[in-house]
Amino acid sequence: MAEPYQTDNALEVRDLSRTFGARKALDKVSFDLPKGAFLSIFGPNGAGKTTLLKVLSTLTPPSKGSARVMGLDVVEDAVKLRERIGFISHNPLLYPDLTAEENLEFFADLYCIDDPKARVKELLTAVELDHRRLDAVRTFSRGMIQRLSIARSLLHKPDVIFLDEPYSGLDPHAMDILDSLVAAVRAEHTFVMISHDLQKGLELCSHALILAKGKIVLLDEREAIDPDAFAATYRATVGLGVS
Amino acid sequence: MTDVKQAARISGMRQFKAILKKDIVMELRTKEMLTSMGLYALLVLLIYYIALSQAGRGFDVTNIAGGLLWLAIVFTSLLGLNRSLVHEKDQGCLDALLLAPVDRPVIFFGKAIGNLLFLLIVEVFVTPLFMIIFNAGKYAHGISTWGFVGLVLVVGSIGIAGVGTLLATMSVNTTGKDFVLAVLFIPIMFPLLLAVVAATWAILIANPDMAVYWKMIAVAGGYDVIMLLAAYALYEFVLGA
Repeated sequence: MAEPYQTDNALEVRDLSRTFGARKALDKVSFDLPKGAFLSIFGPNGAGKTTLLKVLSTLTPPSKGSARVMGLDVVEDAVKLRERIGFISHNPLLYPDLTAEENLEFFADLYCIDDPKARVKELLTAVELDHRRLDAVRTFSRGMIQRLSIARSLLHKPDVIFLDEPYSGLDPHAMDILDSLVAAVRAEHTFVMISHDLQKGLELCSHALILAKGKIVLLDEREAIDPDAFAATYRATVGLGVS
Repeated sequence: MTDVKQAARISGMRQFKAILKKDIVMELRTKEMLTSMGLYALLVLLIYYIALSQAGRGFDVTNIAGGLLWLAIVFTSLLGLNRSLVHEKDQGCLDALLLAPVDRPVIFFGKAIGNLLFLLIVEVFVTPLFMIIFNAGKYAHGISTWGFVGLVLVVGSIGIAGVGTLLATMSVNTTGKDFVLAVLFIPIMFPLLLAVVAATWAILIANPDMAVYWKMIAVAGGYDVIMLLAAYALYEFVLGA
């Protein structure tokens, strides 16, 4: 097993490829991301964004190349790495027949968190769902489910949080609440977010990346990006389709 | 110097208990698996009743009772096994399980023990009903006979739950998962089914054949051990595929 090592980078991706049959979802992707950064990933459907997130979060093994998250290899150190990452998706990843409290306590047990009841209470209060803690998740609105999903992802105090189109399907009020929750924990974590919303993605990020046909088209720091030129580049990739 | 935080003490037993407790709480709340499995088993018994109604008074049902009982159990278990993984898949919860620092065999045993419990609960109701309706226990020698029948049910159900959980996980991502599970399940279960049907027959006939019974229990137990070890070894691969 590869030894974790001291690094200032939250992500170190080297020649990462992932194929599904003959289709190349990721094609020799390489980049670094410093700790504490907020990376927004843009690209057309089928560009490889979700595959990249799945590889980085250990859900899918790479076909070739390597990726390290907080110095840990996504294949060799997968179990250790899972203790240090959180994942928020447009899918809630919550059990609808369990209550909000039962859901969080279940995941607290999976992460073997000390004093799970106290941590669950703390997070339910933080996402303003303490008053609904005994209600089944299936009775929640989309916005409430997303807030609970954020609480689930923060249970074990991860270093890196992956967000797969977290604003998808949210009404403006729920988006505001999600914004404030992300802002509240922004300083303590590294974020990697997939977004189709250029304005929102650029507003939140410190780094932006455009993927198309499994390859990096553009990667830069937010300060160096001209939004109009970035939008033009993004629009050009939409016509590229998938690899 | 390492960049990695001191990892929390991960306890496989705590994770196993959490997965099992979650499945039990969800089933007690929805009763989805128990209701569907129970009703399906009753329908199978009804079909048996219709099929055997023309058999005549001279027909000794104990000769085929083992086969009939296990046929009902296998069909019923297929229904429950599919539901147990669909719950996880429907809301992306399987991904949430896989994102947690849980060794894959812990997930396997959590799900398999849950499936075993639900299957045994259904059997506790269905088996006595089967015996009463078809008078399949007419040669029973007191409580010991039912103890032996109970042992076969437990040994057979362990194999069904273990292999079934592995195959249900394999098939959950496929189109036509019900069909895929059945096509894989029945051939792989063949040796176990032969053994438990023979053991059940040996204990229910007029002159119980204990030598055959214990031999078949040993075959079924051996099958359970081998298949559980195989499932333990393969589960990570199956989940990653």
